[in-house]
Amino acid sequence: MFRGKRRIFAAGLLLATFATACGDDADSTVAPASTTAGATDSTEGSDTTEAGSDTTEAVADTTEPSAPSEACPTSGEAITLAVNPWTGSAVNAYVAKSIIECELGTPVEIIEIDENATWVGLDDGSIDAVLEIWPSGHAADFDTYIAGKGSVVDLGPLGPSAKIGWYVPKFVVDAHPELATWEGFQNPELAKLFATAESGDLGQFTMGDPSYVTYDEQIIANLGLPLKYVVAGSEAALLTAIDQSIADQKPILMQFWQPHWKQLEVELVEVKLPDISPACEAALASQDGTYACDYPVDELYKAANAGLEEKNAAAFNLLKNLQLTTEQQSEIAGYVDRDGMSAAEAGQKWVDANAAVWQAWLS
Amino acid sequence: MAVSVETLPTLVSDEVLIARRRERRIGFVVFTGLAVLAFVVPHEVPSWMDTGIQRWAQDRYRWSILNRESALIFRWFFNPVTDALNWSVEHAESWLLALRWPGVVAVTAAVGWRTGGVRAAIIGAAAMGGVGVIADWDLAMRTLAIMLVAVLIALLLGVPLGILAAQSDRFERVLRVVLDTAQVMPVFVYFSPLQVAFALKFAPAVMATVIYALPPAVRLTNLGLRQVPVVATEVAESFGSTKLQRLFKVQLPMARRSILLGLNQVIMMAFAIVVLAALLGTGDLGQEVLKAIQKTEVGTAFAAGMGVVLLAVALDRVTTGERPAHRLRLLNWLPRVPFRVAGAIAVGGAVATVIAARVFEWQQFPSWLTIDIAPTIDGWFDWAKNNVRKGVPVIGGTQAISDFLTTWVLDPLRDFLWWLPWLVVVVGLAFVGWLSKGWRLALTVTVCMVLIGTMGSIPGGGGRVTLWDLAMDTLSQVLVAIVLSVLIALPLGILAGRSDLVERLLRPFLDIAQVLPQFVYLIPVVFLFSIGRAAGVAACVVYAVPPCIRLTALGMREVAMPPREAAISFGATGRQEMRFVQLPLARKAILLGINQTLMMVLATVIIAALVGAGSLGLVAYEATAKPNVKLGQGVAGGLSIVLLAIMLDRITQAWGTSPDTDRRT
Repeated sequence: MFRGKRRIFAAGLLLATFATACGDDADSTVAPASTTAGATDSTEGSDTTEAGSDTTEAVADTTEPSAPSEACPTSGEAITLAVNPWTGSAVNAYVAKSIIECELGTPVEIIEIDENATWVGLDDGSIDAVLEIWPSGHAADFDTYIAGKGSVVDLGPLGPSAKIGWYVPKFVVDAHPELATWEGFQNPELAKLFATAESGDLGQFTMGDPSYVTYDEQIIANLGLPLKYVVAGSEAALLTAIDQSIADQKPILMQFWQPHWKQLEVELVEVKLPDISPACEAALASQDGTYACDYPVDELYKAANAGLEEKNAAAFNLLKNLQLTTEQQSEIAGYVDRDGMSAAEAGQKWVDANAAVWQAWLS
Repeated sequence: MAVSVETLPTLVSDEVLIARRRERRIGFVVFTGLAVLAFVVPHEVPSWMDTGIQRWAQDRYRWSILNRESALIFRWFFNPVTDALNWSVEHAESWLLALRWPGVVAVTAAVGWRTGGVRAAIIGAAAMGGVGVIADWDLAMRTLAIMLVAVLIALLLGVPLGILAAQSDRFERVLRVVLDTAQVMPVFVYFSPLQVAFALKFAPAVMATVIYALPPAVRLTNLGLRQVPVVATEVAESFGSTKLQRLFKVQLPMARRSILLGLNQVIMMAFAIVVLAALLGTGDLGQEVLKAIQKTEVGTAFAAGMGVVLLAVALDRVTTGERPAHRLRLLNWLPRVPFRVAGAIAVGGAVATVIAARVFEWQQFPSWLTIDIAPTIDGWFDWAKNNVRKGVPVIGGTQAISDFLTTWVLDPLRDFLWWLPWLVVVVGLAFVGWLSKGWRLALTVTVCMVLIGTMGSIPGGGGRVTLWDLAMDTLSQVLVAIVLSVLIALPLGILAGRSDLVERLLRPFLDIAQVLPQFVYLIPVVFLFSIGRAAGVAACVVYAVPPCIRLTALGMREVAMPPREAAISFGATGRQEMRFVQLPLARKAILLGINQTLMMVLATVIIAALVGAGSLGLVAYEATAKPNVKLGQGVAGGLSIVLLAIMLDRITQAWGTSPDTDRRT
């Protein structure tokens, strides 16, 4: 009895799935765009319509600014842009996506992926380009892939610069103005304000995600500060520690950076570290562990797979020309972080309103 | 101690006793001598012991980056496998999407009905529907597609390996070390290499899942086959069946329960790393969790995480389909229909739903059916923030517990382990091994610990830190986490083992705690316990308690009734019966539970590193964070974790087996 029923059952299920699989082609053409407008649709639907001529104006549906506009007709091999898990990275990519799709008629696929995993994808071409790299965290990747193997090419600066540094919540500086500079931390009594069970008698210095660049251990040692370096292990843990610090009004000293959405939410003050001296530049070059200055400014840059120029010269050219100012980027990021738009909506909104800016990138 | 049934005195001749006493004395003398010697030689791990494994691994990684286009292994193996995996997942996904949500739910119900009856059908369908209610359906289908492919591959590899292991003891022993490694080696260590081998998105995600989820499939197949009574095999043999016939017609069917349990564990393990796999750009539910965590939105992360849990539950109930011995009372009023008719109804229903879904264009999960649980969860979390962390009478709250744990337990234990000369630690642990089982185990322990000494050192703390020191830090945290887990889990497990009500109440919590992506409770743990080792211990405990409760309860329940009833008929009170009969008889199962707790704790060391526990977990994590520089370090850190795990595992397993068997011979 066992076997006979199993066969009937299997046949039935097979029939059911075939019914669905076969019916698929029929209605994929009538599927409204809204159902497939998600950022990750890639497997189907790329063969929907012929390409419109690329002289069409950006098809902006101005009636509903908050809804993502209808995807422009596209054809050909898709370009894959990587989005790393922060707002800036996402809005750059969606600005580029909108322009490439509507002006060049090339479909753009967005892949949301870990920052470090991005490089392996850039190397083998499964990612065509990434538009925001923080140089400080990826010196080794630059050496390996761009300078060394040559499988990835530098697309030039994105425009905005970023800055890593030491931060404390504003209430700390309000109560102890001398903690606005590193000299304040020489005082063991003041450093002790930052003590935790982990750091014992010393003050705790908190570092977030270990994949970010850090000289903090060197800076602490070389400036002789009574601090203990503790790695929180993840950005989420660091952000939670900030919330905890604000809730308890218990001081926290940490590595943080600008731009970051958290800076809109809580008031953080950067602690002044010694200016970058020639000795520090030498220490940076030789990696001899004697670094004792402020973090260098991060000039964000773009990178692409070396094969992109051949694959799609127009897109390559556009991505190379694409540049935003710090103000422009924070404006778009603000739509997301402050106004709660999706990155796609925010990118589209900016593209709709700033044709003059991006028209120049197309030349 | 009172005489329990298990430890009734057995007849042992005097000579054996004397021989054993002599051996014991020799052991004490040998270990004391070794300990003294260990104090005399250098206290630090000597640098000449560094085998250069870090460099070796780093060089291999670099080589594969530079040669991934040309090397033959890529062209003939990795690339075709990558394409096949991506193809499978993409097709599985488009099928699931083509079935539409009613179709998926209906097919789930039909399969559940076939394997586990009406009950499995209802639970499976409800869980699958629930996925749509609280999480994004399309993303969930992508997760499901990845999981289906991964679980299938894990079974296709795992069952044959289990069969082979059941045939040969030597193969089993080798395989066991490999499986232990696969289970405990932090995923982060082999993430970057997997990416280099299998590129992005689905293929490396599937591979990572397979590696992590494979061990239970092999283990439980092996176990099931080995438990088939010899008589059954011999009967088949005497009737002239071939070896293959015996395997497929006698042994495998008889091992079915165990293999299904293996499938259940494979599914649970696979779903447990969905979120990590999302780092590779899978763009599924796991990614939702990651994104929410990045913005510290606990509620959103929890909702997406619950979607993962419900998917796992649906898949689990439907595939493993345990058929309850008694029919659900509720179902008794249903008209009894012949099996064949019921089958036709189920299949017909599924087909009809699928067709209806297409005809009526039920594309997206209806929005009026979805519930946003995020605000509720956020509310709970806010409450916990304000009421659990501080100001709790007597214990003072989680912050006080955390500070106490760090200052008075973790710090002294770690400092003690650091203060001890390294060889003294080795000799001491070997001594424990010898006490637990004998010379052979002592040797295993020694090898594991000495190998940690060969892992070299990494830059840190203003100089270089040896992996040994980091391992001692990890060991101190792991020991504390294990003790706490057992202290929490044992009473609950015993309670659940004696009361159906407690077990039923606990079950959903255990399911959730086991499958809910660990990332989801990363933020609450940090908020409640602050960044540091105590938070790490807390994260480990949350993850390790469920299996311990489960196995304890199971052990209590599997104690045969006759001895318990006998005790009661002799006038033992319920408490006496539990203490002197049931608990001793369940001892082995409970010790197995502790053993599993330990493996869980060690597997969570990596998550602990994400909340500030540092040590080996952090080193292993950095293999993913900065692969071009730190992959070698990560491999050394990961291997050290594995070695610690094997050492602790073998010792605790010996507790579960050896004394009894020794005494009986």
